Amino acid sequence: MTRRWLLPLAILFAAMRALAGGDARTSSLPPGAQPDDSGPSDVIFPAQDVNIRFNHALHVKQLHQACKSCHPGGATSDSVADSLLPAGTACDDCHLTDHGNLHAVKAGDGDSGKCAFCHVGYKDGDGSVVRTTEIPRANMIFSHRRHAVRNIGCQQCHGRVEDVTEATRDQLPRMRGCFHCHQMPDSASRGDAKAACDTCHLRGGAAGGGVIRIAFPEGKLSPPRWMRDAEHGPDFIERHRRVAGADSQFCANCHKEDFCTDCHDGRVRPRRIHPNDYIAMHPVDARMENERCTSCHREQSFCVDCHLRSGVGQSSPTGVQSSKSRFHPPAAIWSGPFRGPGHHALEAQRNLNACVSCHVESDCVKCHGGAGIGAGYNPHPAGFLSSCGMQMRRNPRPCMVCHQPFEIAGKCQ
Amino acid sequence: MRLRIACAAAVLCCAARAFAGDSPSGTSWKGELTSDTETQFYDVYGPTGTPMLIRARLTSTLGVSVYDLLPRPAQAGQELLPDLTFRARLRYDADYGASADEATPTTIDRFVPGFSRGPVDLMYAYVEGRRFLHGVLGFKLGRQYVTDALGWWSFDGGLVHVTTPAYFALEAYAGLEVRGGLPFSGAIGRWEADGVWRGDRTGMDPTQYPAFEQNDVAPAIGAAIETAGVSWLHGRLSYRRVYNTGDSVVSILPNEAPLTYSGERISQEKLGYSLSATASKIGGVEGGVVYDFYANATTSIWASADVFLPKHVTASVDYDYYQPTFDADSIWNFFATYPMNDVGARVVWDATQKLSLAAGAHVRVFQNETEDAQTSTIQGAGALAPGISPFTFAEGGMLSARYKRRDTLLTANASGNFGDQGDRAGGDVAGERLFDARYVLSGRVGLWHWEDKLRPDRSTVAFGAMLGGGYRFFNGSQVGVEWENDASGLFGWRMRLLAYLRLTVTK
Repeated sequence: MTRRWLLPLAILFAAMRALAGGDARTSSLPPGAQPDDSGPSDVIFPAQDVNIRFNHALHVKQLHQACKSCHPGGATSDSVADSLLPAGTACDDCHLTDHGNLHAVKAGDGDSGKCAFCHVGYKDGDGSVVRTTEIPRANMIFSHRRHAVRNIGCQQCHGRVEDVTEATRDQLPRMRGCFHCHQMPDSASRGDAKAACDTCHLRGGAAGGGVIRIAFPEGKLSPPRWMRDAEHGPDFIERHRRVAGADSQFCANCHKEDFCTDCHDGRVRPRRIHPNDYIAMHPVDARMENERCTSCHREQSFCVDCHLRSGVGQSSPTGVQSSKSRFHPPAAIWSGPFRGPGHHALEAQRNLNACVSCHVESDCVKCHGGAGIGAGYNPHPAGFLSSCGMQMRRNPRPCMVCHQPFEIAGKCQ
Repeated sequence: MRLRIACAAAVLCCAARAFAGDSPSGTSWKGELTSDTETQFYDVYGPTGTPMLIRARLTSTLGVSVYDLLPRPAQAGQELLPDLTFRARLRYDADYGASADEATPTTIDRFVPGFSRGPVDLMYAYVEGRRFLHGVLGFKLGRQYVTDALGWWSFDGGLVHVTTPAYFALEAYAGLEVRGGLPFSGAIGRWEADGVWRGDRTGMDPTQYPAFEQNDVAPAIGAAIETAGVSWLHGRLSYRRVYNTGDSVVSILPNEAPLTYSGERISQEKLGYSLSATASKIGGVEGGVVYDFYANATTSIWASADVFLPKHVTASVDYDYYQPTFDADSIWNFFATYPMNDVGARVVWDATQKLSLAAGAHVRVFQNETEDAQTSTIQGAGALAPGISPFTFAEGGMLSARYKRRDTLLTANASGNFGDQGDRAGGDVAGERLFDARYVLSGRVGLWHWEDKLRPDRSTVAFGAMLGGGYRFFNGSQVGVEWENDASGLFGWRMRLLAYLRLTVTK
């Protein structure tokens, strides 16, 4: 029996390995990076234009240079606006160059002192003109100093830079790595490594977004799939309720109420949800999607209001009833003596919401009301009498709508 | 009245500053003024294809927000500082296509209870404080939303949120539920429990639509306990109780002797729990449950499990259970109903950074009344037809694709839902492009087949197309027009025109 499962499991495992692919960039990446990720967010760390050739592995492993030798600002910077790239003069001692005057840079004698040795695209005759290196400021809040004083080493955020030649955007931190430490509630006594989004993300508010700003010239921030399962994929509109229902404050980090109420309390039909001439065709959906309608529409107000106005409702004013035609199947099926497919009893039992979207209480009481009020057709479920007493004590109003007081007193426990 | 509000606001601000303690001087407050105006023109047709309502709608909202009411330095590491925000939004929603008779109780043949041609509602207006008392205390005062496992809800009152160092937070709130027909709450309710037809009866004769209840204040309390500060796990247990007050007419049929029930009574009492946990390299699970104390029933259960596969593929299975319940004033809580069960699966693939694809399928199971139940419980009803299956199944699926570039969004969706009540199948393609950072062009084309199985004569194929154009003045401000044309075998050609103006001014 066990052997029967071995082969399928082996095939499944092999398939998973094949899907996973090789171990690619692997160990040099910062904590939190995944082998198949395409680098950190372009929105947080905009694209760079680096025109310097630099071998980190050589400098660190063979020449035993510490990070702070070239990046002293890495221990003192309080803002992402600070440039932490070394000035050209930092290279002069070893490369025997002179960057003291950037308008008249002097090359060194050896090969490693030539301008083209480090400056990408440099050609003889370019003089002191080289391509600039553009590293846009990150769209976040970050203090290297605050991390350095806590003895957080460079590798903890940037990975094993000593294993790579050029340090590209790949070596910039991943948010998932930040959460290794940032797992603290707001309460001050837990220290500064808060999990709150605005610990690191730029504040939103008037700048757009919710608690944090999400729109930037480089694009919009969007949560990754590993964060609360909230990846905003093409079908997120169908499943966002699971995320919002579990933690709406998580959504509020990026969205203000208006973003939600535009649909959930909106006045303009969202075409992605209600396509084409939806107003005319919505009855089919209302019968099928019996819970979804109520997430945006209150039946006894939004739906009933329009149904009464248009003469569709049974209690519509007499002046518009003339345009009304029968909505339900023929009476013989809908309310006939045999309760079969298409009978209103069965339809109501599996989708009462659809009834409530059109009818008001009096429409039902006419037939379902008790003795002396309605026709006495009992709509209650099995075992109703064993529990209705508790409900009546908490709110007798609905009992009194259908039953005479003496009738209730006699039956309910 | 205005003086009282101004005094209250001043006191609130002073109290907040006192709570905040010594704040380092720094950046000043930031303000945001928003105004969205949409006008729409279209007709509503009845089931037989006759025009019933001519709608000329104007919806306008005005929003005011003030952030950072407390000074705050513009430097790193500011997460522990107190923070005070004010936000409000007012909405005017008019239908100039409606007749004045529809809102006039004396025109008996046209009057629709609760209808208003131009209601104004205050969607929200609150002061929010965060991270007071060294990050422990948060609060919200005013009209506000609460969203959790118990659903969307809105109330006027106060909410206090206490974050403990022990990775959990406590929340308590009290106030009045926002109900339609009350001042600045719109004509129709949105956030109150469903099942009761109520609103403002001003001007109505007592014998006129007795089933339409006069709305009254609804005191509410709630509490929650939730995890805090853990990024991979969140759980929230929430409880809410709302009371109905005032008189309620219980003799709602015309021939009944007048009878009124007065007194405070329960409107809703619910307990909900939701849980979300994610293991970043493996996947995640989510789930929740809602229990209705009045109905004495579990009304909602949901669960899903996601697996993060390589190559940016996520696979999920979902489960949903739903049993409708209503406001405790409603008779419909007592009608026999059976729950709905949904089981689904989906796959999402981020093929590239710009292109994402999703596919899913689900089966919906409805329980039916069986012969046994009928004979033992349903009195007076007609006999149950033989051969009724204890379960009815409906099924569906969807395919969805999205291509997103900085200035371009293209989407394609196709779905089908098939069941005993009807079928809906079709798809649409939509796109939006921003040219020159100013000019917006949008469009949508869709084709859908609707099968109404209860009334087969109303089945049809519907085609729709929309073309829109807009101009963006600056970020957050845009004017535009959308023209929509729909055609179907049942209703012929129809047109809808929508124009909008969105303005945002920030300081």
